[in-house]
Amino acid sequence: MKKTINKWHFVVICITTIILALSALPTFYGKHPVVSMQGASVDTELPSISSIKASLKDSQFDVATIRITDNKMFIQPSSNNADIAQLREHLSQDFGKPFAIHIDEVEASPRWLQAMGFNAIKLGLDLNGGVLFELHVDLPSAINERMQGMEEELRLVFQQERIRGLNAEFDADMHINVSYRNDVAYNKLKVILKTKFPDLNIIKETPNSVRLAWGASKLADFEQALMQQSVSIMRNRIESLGITEAAISRQGKQDIRIELPGIKDPQQAAKIIGSTATLDVFSLAKNGLNANVLTNKQGQAIAVNKKPVFSGHNIQNATAGTDEYGIPMVNLVLDSQGGDKMSRFSKANIGQAMVTVLSEYQQDIEGKLKKHSEVINVATIQAQLGNRFSITNMPSAHAAQELAMLIRAGSLNAPVSIIEQRTIDSSLGEENVHSGFAALVLGLAITLTFMALWYRKLGLIANASLVINLLCLLGLMAWLPGVVLTLPGIAGLVLTIGMAVDTNVLVFERIKQQAQQNRSPAAAIESGYQRALTTILDANITTMICAVILFSMGNGPVKGFAITLSLGLITSMFSGVFVAKFLSRLFPADSLVCQKEAL
Amino acid sequence: MNQFTQLRTGACYLAAVLVVLSVVSLAIKGLNLGLDFTGGQLVEFSTSARVDQAMMQKSLTNLDISDATITASADAQRWTLRMQDTPDQNLDLDILSQQLGVDVQALDSVYIGSQVGADMLEQGGLALLVAAIAIMLYLSVRFEWRQAIGALTALIHDVLIVLGLFAWFELPFDLTVMAAILAIIGYSLNDSIVVGDRIRELLQAKHPLPINQSINLAVKSTFTRTLITSGTTLATITSIYLLAGKPLEGFSLALLVGVIAGTVSSISLSATLPSMLGLDAEYYFRKDKLTGLEE
Repeated sequence: MKKTINKWHFVVICITTIILALSALPTFYGKHPVVSMQGASVDTELPSISSIKASLKDSQFDVATIRITDNKMFIQPSSNNADIAQLREHLSQDFGKPFAIHIDEVEASPRWLQAMGFNAIKLGLDLNGGVLFELHVDLPSAINERMQGMEEELRLVFQQERIRGLNAEFDADMHINVSYRNDVAYNKLKVILKTKFPDLNIIKETPNSVRLAWGASKLADFEQALMQQSVSIMRNRIESLGITEAAISRQGKQDIRIELPGIKDPQQAAKIIGSTATLDVFSLAKNGLNANVLTNKQGQAIAVNKKPVFSGHNIQNATAGTDEYGIPMVNLVLDSQGGDKMSRFSKANIGQAMVTVLSEYQQDIEGKLKKHSEVINVATIQAQLGNRFSITNMPSAHAAQELAMLIRAGSLNAPVSIIEQRTIDSSLGEENVHSGFAALVLGLAITLTFMALWYRKLGLIANASLVINLLCLLGLMAWLPGVVLTLPGIAGLVLTIGMAVDTNVLVFERIKQQAQQNRSPAAAIESGYQRALTTILDANITTMICAVILFSMGNGPVKGFAITLSLGLITSMFSGVFVAKFLSRLFPADSLVCQKEAL
Repeated sequence: MNQFTQLRTGACYLAAVLVVLSVVSLAIKGLNLGLDFTGGQLVEFSTSARVDQAMMQKSLTNLDISDATITASADAQRWTLRMQDTPDQNLDLDILSQQLGVDVQALDSVYIGSQVGADMLEQGGLALLVAAIAIMLYLSVRFEWRQAIGALTALIHDVLIVLGLFAWFELPFDLTVMAAILAIIGYSLNDSIVVGDRIRELLQAKHPLPINQSINLAVKSTFTRTLITSGTTLATITSIYLLAGKPLEGFSLALLVGVIAGTVSSISLSATLPSMLGLDAEYYFRKDKLTGLEE
């Protein structure tokens, strides 16, 4: 039988292997933690290198390199164990506001590799160290709050239109029940609903009341918007912590998953991310009706009207500053809706008080979320205000800054609770990396030795294809976006070795049998590969089914295992069948197969 | 030949006994569900010097931590604390450090809400179910029904043995162990398919041997492959068990037992069961006549 060395096969194999091997290379170089500095606005000039050096001269930090690319400065300490958060603090204190100073990571691989777009494999939390949060957004609470607001709006409309005989009540199941006394009231209600509240649908009617609720699609839209808002608020909060490498994703309908690699202070991160602070502004209540009694820091009771003038989500920006007497204050910028509300309210209430209230959701003993509100500021309205105004007379500059930051972090419209939290110390992560790779090396060594001894020359071909397999697998993992290496993932790599060997063994056993049946060595090799193919496919497809199922239900580390397993199956098919076949044809058949081989 | 058939059949009965034992141990002891499935808090920390277990227990009680289990490593310097998901219990490592008089360093901490744990358990069960169905479908396409049942029985046998082992020795059953079980399903199937393929090939021959002889021949001719594959896989799994440390202990143990069980079951159960159910070359012959050429 003619042995054909297909040139195209050679080209394909070479190109694939070289590209994937290069892709895998950066992983072996590792990463350095650095502090990055960038001007907050486009024209801010970066500080000079000598000023940075001067600032760090007497500190504990020994700087290895300072590099500037694209108007962004990267400061890398000499030791990888340096406390990078401290370094960032130090630089923030010295150079502060005009710059955005973040904790970042740069690759240690040579520039030319990076220039080609090849990056190291992303490491999961269990290998990198860091914090994982899973947050649950309490959508029903938010919806109920909105419903409550609508109930009050309904009442207001009934009052304004002077309709008698209608009473609106909100029940905590996301419904509003309106009872009517006679037909006239009923008809007027219908008109009001149609014109002013088109989103509310009548879901139940009894002889003297109707039950209102939001339509399904409007509800879905609202929930979607809430989730998106919550995710972007989380993004902002994480940025304010100075972290760039965070991974934020939605999980299912109501959960958000946040992974923060390399964080040294998980408690602080938990506090900021889990913060559920919301800011509202109320007017002082004149009488007991329609009022909530809240307390301020000193414990004094202050009665405010139930309905807020505007809410936190109307605030676009907040900065700390001082007034002309040097007393700290917080400057607020409202959006157009908030600006309107503020304008109307302030015009009608000059000389009256304006109460700022900070609310937080906390878990009580039963694990339910309850709202705790505190008055943080009572100010007098001096003149009609627009969308820019200030909360004056803050107790201190620090209080002003903290309030501004809290407001900027974004007030949440739906309470959020932390349902899962994992912290892994980075030293433990390093330990995991080392032990994982030790297992990989040992497994590889045993397999390579065995194959070489048992199958001799054919075994060497199997070994070559195994090494190519692993390189391609690593390269593929580094190249595909969203693929993360975890400790079970490394275990998956080790298992891939076993499975790749299976492919080779199936082929070689077939070859032996064909040789036994007195076919020529070349023919035996060709038909060996051919006949083994169906069994190889069967075996790999069934394992692939399991890997895919695992991928769909697993969480972080287990997902890593599923990915490594699936990708490993693909690469081992490529290397075990395609590459090994090509290599087998390169050598004279008799050197590989001895016709007298008996089972 | 007869001897080998007897061996196979004997192994089948032994497998049946093991399965019964596993089911019993699962029923009596139940699975020791890990944090991933129950929810709760797990904190791993190291102390700069040896701490006496009793002393550690006392300090924990002083910190108002009850209803928790604390385990120590052999050198009494690495500790694992596991608590239920109660909102007030919180381990403040700084205070613990003060109480014990040694430096305490946090290594790993996991908090999982109990709802998340319950969800994960449900998902895990669902995944196993879906896997079983998908595989049943695949098998019924590739093989005739007796062989498909044989392979499926071997599969269930392997999974039950691993679960039984974990239940009996009260080993923690967490998400990575579940991942190992899904991997075992893949492996066990591989083995059964390789043997099944060979049996089918022999039965489709022009002059097929009697059924038991065919099966024996199929098993023998695939034996080398089975040994080598299982051998190398076991070698790699053992490396994981020895070197990859605690996080993957349960995972690698499950895989070890599963692969061994899978190899044995592919030779005994999935090969023998079809003949017990009446597998014959006739089936493949009939198919030939009906559809013309079978591949």
